[in-house]
Amino acid sequence: MSLRRAAVRLRAVVGLAFAQLRRSPGRTALTVFAVMLAVLSVTLLASLGVGVVETGEDGLDNAGRDIWVSSDPVDPSASGTENPIVGAHAVSAEMTERDDVSSASPIAMHDVYIGTDADDLERTPAIGVHETHDEFDYEAGGGFELDDNVTEGERPPEPTTEELLLDPDTAESLGVEVGDTVYIGTSRETAQNHEFTVIGITGYYSQYLGSDAATVPLTDLQAVAGTTGTDRATFITASVEDDADRDTVAADLDDEYAAYDVRPSDEQIGAMAEEQPLILASGATLVGLAIVGGIVLTVNLFALVAYQQRDELAALRAIGLSRWVLAGTIAVQGLVIGILGGVVGLVATPLLAAALNRLATSVIGFEALLQTPIEVYLIGLALAIVVGTVVALLTGWRAGRYARIEQLEG
Amino acid sequence: MNHRTPQQATASDGRANDGGGPTAAVRLEGITHEYGASGGRGRSSGDRTVTALQDVSFDIQAGDIVGLEGPSGSGKSTILHAVTGLLVPTAGTVELLGTDLTELSDRKRTRIRRRHVGIVFQRFHLLPSLSARANVALPLVQAGIPRSTRRERAETLLEQVGLGDRSTHLPGELSGGERQRVAIARALVTDPDIIVADEPTGELDTATGDDVLDLLTDIGRERAVLVASHDDATLSVADRVVTLRDGRVVSNAG
Repeated sequence: MSLRRAAVRLRAVVGLAFAQLRRSPGRTALTVFAVMLAVLSVTLLASLGVGVVETGEDGLDNAGRDIWVSSDPVDPSASGTENPIVGAHAVSAEMTERDDVSSASPIAMHDVYIGTDADDLERTPAIGVHETHDEFDYEAGGGFELDDNVTEGERPPEPTTEELLLDPDTAESLGVEVGDTVYIGTSRETAQNHEFTVIGITGYYSQYLGSDAATVPLTDLQAVAGTTGTDRATFITASVEDDADRDTVAADLDDEYAAYDVRPSDEQIGAMAEEQPLILASGATLVGLAIVGGIVLTVNLFALVAYQQRDELAALRAIGLSRWVLAGTIAVQGLVIGILGGVVGLVATPLLAAALNRLATSVIGFEALLQTPIEVYLIGLALAIVVGTVVALLTGWRAGRYARIEQLEG
Repeated sequence: MNHRTPQQATASDGRANDGGGPTAAVRLEGITHEYGASGGRGRSSGDRTVTALQDVSFDIQAGDIVGLEGPSGSGKSTILHAVTGLLVPTAGTVELLGTDLTELSDRKRTRIRRRHVGIVFQRFHLLPSLSARANVALPLVQAGIPRSTRRERAETLLEQVGLGDRSTHLPGELSGGERQRVAIARALVTDPDIIVADEPTGELDTATGDDVLDLLTDIGRERAVLVASHDDATLSVADRVVTLRDGRVVSNAG
């Protein structure tokens, strides 16, 4: 019996809420719009936060390597003096011989001077790798692959491939295209000794270094840097066999190569991220701000919705309706507005994120700066519907408490 | 003096019946109220309290229409608040059908108000988004009465106040007098024992006001009616007028 009564009341509460919403279609539309803005502020800011953190991690992820070997704290902008792994090819070859490792190869980083005129050179970081791959997303030209797999054998002290890839910004400032020749060296004096052909334009490494970067065949970069003899590298990356456990192999290698830090790739991302606290802090701050800002906006909005109806609420209270019924009518309005505003906001999110990404790409060169994983949508929807309804219920409850005839006489 | 507990007083149908003499529909006994004392009992007053009522006592029997007269600030509104249970006075007792409202929780006072008191406001306070019929039916929502029954009761009452043909109109489509009649129908929909009207003709012209007063007199035959007003014409329908000055009763005459 009392359940039936509750159902009757609930139905009446929903009817009352819809009547109130229908009464002022303009106000309802504006409220929906405001919720949409709150949702968008959350989803877009959170997307930016996620994107900022992930931009730094992307290069590592895409490399598709399971294990990273490094020594000392890794600094992505390391110059030639900070390639701490000695005999990198020998170590790589040793690792490759293991049954559980399918391949291993070194990566070196050096600052180099590049230019079309030996007297007018630009300084830029260069990454020395054994091969390029499909993820490079070439704007022009293509990549390279060194003939021999990594071996322990003799390596020529002079560059053999004499090819390199430039990022779009460096290519533009040097005024070079695919097929052009540039000078390269680790000092202004030695640059004139080496002429390389530009075979491709790609922003692949600059995307995760956060600065422009040239990509050079590893042995050529070592030759240019004069580290062929000591065979220096910044990292050795390894892939494990399909049937091997990445973490176990990493632990084995860590024991075997005690002088180096051996980490599975996700830990390596963490280790690199630790080196970039500012980026992490910015990303986290953006996500935090997004959520707090969205909640404040929503709370304000529904407090206003209840405030605007205070006379009606006071009258309903005076004629004997309970505070739950009053709070319920405001809560149902909050739910309806939250659903409408939330859905519109979520539909608009990918469109606006794509537009902002295009803008970010053209202005600062970062691609996919805003990233919208499912969690971002869930946060946005939860804000609109859950926070909207709860806040509406609470403000409705409070409004009912202060219902007095004085209010009805004003 | 009647000293029943609220439980006894509201037993079964919620109406008082102690088997003795007739119980007053409304009985105010030594009511004092100070604003600024947080409106509750047992709170000490600070320097900035304003005494709205001082030792006010009177009662209203069923079938009586009692007028409440006095200048602004004399305490009329405070008495209406106290009688409807929207306010608990600082001291004294407010008995409705033998139940002392001052001893009840906010929730119980709301229930008593819903069952036994109908309120008519100066400014009608109809919900603009609802039809006349839905406005009249509103107080029945809380009791969980099904919609078809609510509609039936509302339509019957609208017929009684002469607005049978206006039941689907929105308040905005009605004249001031019609709106007040809708409000009176709403006050009657729970079949209350007590009607409290605050300046019921304050927003109406004389002729329309007279119609509304006729209606109030008509419904007052079976109920206790308390009408607060400045207006002599309104007070003239009362069997008795309680005059207030500075929170005190200065006359209580028929």
